[in-house]
Amino acid sequence: MPEPTLAIQNLRFTHADPGGGGFTLALDDLQLTPGEQVLVAGTSGSGKSTLLQLVAGLLDPDSGEIKVDGRAMHAMNGAERDRYRGRRIGMIFQTFNLLDGFSARENVLAALMFSDLPNREHRERADQLLQRLGIERPDATPDRLSVGQQQRVAVARALASRPGLVLADEPTASLDPANATNAVELIKETCRQEGAALLLTSHDPSIRDTFERVEELQA
Amino acid sequence: MTDLRIIFRSLRVRLFSTIVTVLTVAIAVGLLLTLLILRESGQSAFERGAGNAELLVSADNSPLVSVLNGIFYANPPRNPISMTKYESIRDSFPWKWTVPMQLGDSYQGQPVVATNSDFFTEFQPIAGQPWVFTEGRRFARPYELVVGAEAARTTGLVIGDRVPLTHGFSGSREGGHVHDTHLFEVVGILEPTGASHDRALFTDLTGSWVLHAEDRLEREGTSDASAAAHDDEEHDDHGHDHGHDHDHGHAHIHVEVEDLTDADRMITGILMAVPSRSGRSGASAVLPQAFDMLRRDTSITVASPANQIERLFAIVGNVDQLFVAMAIAVLLSSGIGILLALWNSMEQRRRQIAILRVLGCSQGRVFSLVITESVLIGIGGALTGVFACWLGSLLAASELRERLGLVIEPELDPATILVVIAGTLVLAAAAGLGPAIRAYRTPVARNLRPIS
Repeated sequence: MPEPTLAIQNLRFTHADPGGGGFTLALDDLQLTPGEQVLVAGTSGSGKSTLLQLVAGLLDPDSGEIKVDGRAMHAMNGAERDRYRGRRIGMIFQTFNLLDGFSARENVLAALMFSDLPNREHRERADQLLQRLGIERPDATPDRLSVGQQQRVAVARALASRPGLVLADEPTASLDPANATNAVELIKETCRQEGAALLLTSHDPSIRDTFERVEELQA
Repeated sequence: MTDLRIIFRSLRVRLFSTIVTVLTVAIAVGLLLTLLILRESGQSAFERGAGNAELLVSADNSPLVSVLNGIFYANPPRNPISMTKYESIRDSFPWKWTVPMQLGDSYQGQPVVATNSDFFTEFQPIAGQPWVFTEGRRFARPYELVVGAEAARTTGLVIGDRVPLTHGFSGSREGGHVHDTHLFEVVGILEPTGASHDRALFTDLTGSWVLHAEDRLEREGTSDASAAAHDDEEHDDHGHDHGHDHDHGHAHIHVEVEDLTDADRMITGILMAVPSRSGRSGASAVLPQAFDMLRRDTSITVASPANQIERLFAIVGNVDQLFVAMAIAVLLSSGIGILLALWNSMEQRRRQIAILRVLGCSQGRVFSLVITESVLIGIGGALTGVFACWLGSLLAASELRERLGLVIEPELDPATILVVIAGTLVLAAAAGLGPAIRAYRTPVARNLRPIS
């Protein structure tokens, strides 16, 4: 049996909100095999985004273990974890989080800076991904691209470093149902082509049926 | 994509703030360098003026005024020395050389030095470097003019021009009266020396004495003086040119060289050098002895140009240091400008930093990106400042030359420039520390959310 791309064991994380509220995330076991695509569903405030940030090593859990491609994320020191994230994990956000003032190509190249790929291959890799995702103006900055094109750039950037795992945080939240389905299909298809596992969070019931496996987070 | 590319993109996004910050640093660096360079160049320009003259005798009130007037042509000296006195001083000591000079006239604001031919053979504007003529020769007889390089440039005089001299310097109390009875012919143009002499014109003492004798006689309102006077109608055979624009309503008085009296044969200064001891370079051992001998004569003022220039710099030294301190303060404030610009930008860049972190950029690398950005602003400012300094020095040199007659050649001393640039970079790096720490500590998860 191949080693899982993502393995979560006994994860506990308490989010304390100074203004009241807050929540506790508890996940006893979650595993993704290489190339597997999983939807994490749940209502707002159930901790879906927090789960992805814990997996990416951007937050530290109270307890439990998260392994990505066999390496425990939180056993690494900060710089090591940053480097590992750059090589093994791609992230897509609801608001895309593209870099202002950088062209579409430069956004993808920025991700490649922190990858394992040799420098001489960066430009070719970026152009190849952007072309495959239908980016017509790779030299345009995000503010000159349509929302759909921006999302494609975000997908290209997440997959640029050939990660084993892509984390997509509510990528359809700001889209209408038709575009939401298309966007999810685009992400899924691109991950499939690149051989990356996908952990996608969404509270949108319309995309549930597009995933073979759905994990429910309870608030 | 490289770290530098990321930094340049970041600077471009905040273009206005970047340009203002770079200009702030540039102004500070330019100001500091200009002051340092002008201080060095100014001192060397002052030192150049005295050339190989070891002593200057005049009837000015103080040795410093004597040097300012006699070497730098600041003002026409008010108190003359008679030629009889000069001859007595000349014969009182085995001088290496003595050169009499008289200041009092000008041409288009440029001082005219009346002297003798020893001025060109004995006196050297820069010790060890004799006069060099770009064109022509030194004056050989009265009413001939040799023009300094800067004076030639500003007046446009060329060989063969015939011009009248004006009594007094431009802006002096005596200024304004044109000696239009005699025209002086330009016979030589000098090479630049970098000293105050470049803006002067030089002529023979005798011609100058004649001009002033005629002035004196006109003032006295006498035309008899079997002595000396002939009116216009009778006289036109001096062997030199006269201006003929005489509309004063009275006859002009012309004086011949042989008619000059002791009262006319006046000078305003004597440049002197003492003999060096055989086989020994530098200041002669007999200089103090000569100096003391002259000091005993209370009717004259004796100055050592080198000492007076040193004294002048001691006087202005505090002001000079104040200017440098102010320039350093401006430089420090520009460092605060960098800090504020970067600190404020951190607020807008929290999201960018968070994204870079997600992409795999470590906290340490984020820190170094901000420090490098700060240093780049410093480099931009320093290089712009060096250019501004070069331009500023040229302008300041031009102003000093026009207003004070101080000929300075601004030179950018590489060591000074390097020290200032290095200091600016250290300052910029220090200014970037706060913002870099702030960037280092930027929480990623919180800043990935949309910022309203």
